[in-house]
Amino acid sequence: MTHNEHERARELIALGSLEDTQQTWLGGHLRECVACREYADAAGQMVRAVRSLPVTADARLVRATQMRVRFHAARLREARARMWLVGTACLGVGLSATITVPLAWRLFAWMGQSAGVSRFVWEAGFAFFWIAPALVVSALLMARGTHLADQGRSIGD
Amino acid sequence: MKMNAMDTEAGAIARGLRRRDPDLLDRLIEQYQHRLLRYLVYLSGNRELAEDLFQETWIRVMERGHQYDGQREFSTWLYAVARNLTIDYLRKKSPVSLDGLMEDEDHAPLEPADTRPTAWELVAQHEQAEHINAALAGIPAEYREAIVLRFQDGLALDEIASVTGAPMGTVKSRLYRGLNLLMGKMGRMQA
Repeated sequence: MTHNEHERARELIALGSLEDTQQTWLGGHLRECVACREYADAAGQMVRAVRSLPVTADARLVRATQMRVRFHAARLREARARMWLVGTACLGVGLSATITVPLAWRLFAWMGQSAGVSRFVWEAGFAFFWIAPALVVSALLMARGTHLADQGRSIGD
Repeated sequence: MKMNAMDTEAGAIARGLRRRDPDLLDRLIEQYQHRLLRYLVYLSGNRELAEDLFQETWIRVMERGHQYDGQREFSTWLYAVARNLTIDYLRKKSPVSLDGLMEDEDHAPLEPADTRPTAWELVAQHEQAEHINAALAGIPAEYREAIVLRFQDGLALDEIASVTGAPMGTVKSRLYRGLNLLMGKMGRMQA
């Protein structure tokens, strides 16, 4: 028997599950080789010992994990619902703008002509009319953010 | 027939995870509690860290459950999630690879898992278990991982390859070398 055969036999023993041909070859080798048979016995004992190691999770850990997972799942659902709301709002605004912008443009053009103002003036008025709500909302949000930051700092102090 | 049953169960789990079904997650946490914790304890080498990673693993499972396709065993995918989390955590804490864990003496998770007495009350009752734990803690982490997955959790070789991302030849080699190292250490302890 060669060194490679012993090595192969021990590698097969360590794998734990073998194909039929490998099993047959290994069985034949073990019948003839005392050293590899002893290795197989020792490896078997080692594997059984490893399998018997007691590491278990306790009920507290399981409960805490289940609660954390449920909490995070609820937060994800809320975030998804918020995103859906924002997405729907954006879609609504987009659709509404597609319809109203040309109409508003014509209205401003008509009013500009009726009032006898230059094209630049009624176009600026039109731009301001569309930007003004966003400017107001931005200003309100910034004010609220500053207020919350101040409040956070005062709580921290 | 067994394969069909497995497919059905894996498919049901995949569908439930896509819905983030809380009852399914509760059931899975209970079903895999011991196996997953054991894997994490031996992977990280630290019971307390393993418990944190246990919770994080299930949160990750809930968040990324849609990525599980039901084509393979759920446990294989679960272990891969746990493994990636552990490696990410250890890399953030200290930039070492899993292969190099045992060489880093300052790294808390490298210590044998018997640093927390309550976790080892059972082990203390069995002298042999104590020896095996010490021997396991003393072998390189990638060998320990292969041995725990193969012999404690009963994963097939291709499943271990899938969990660890290592080629099949490497998995076989880790098992063989790990077992040899383990037997060598046990032999020296008992001598």
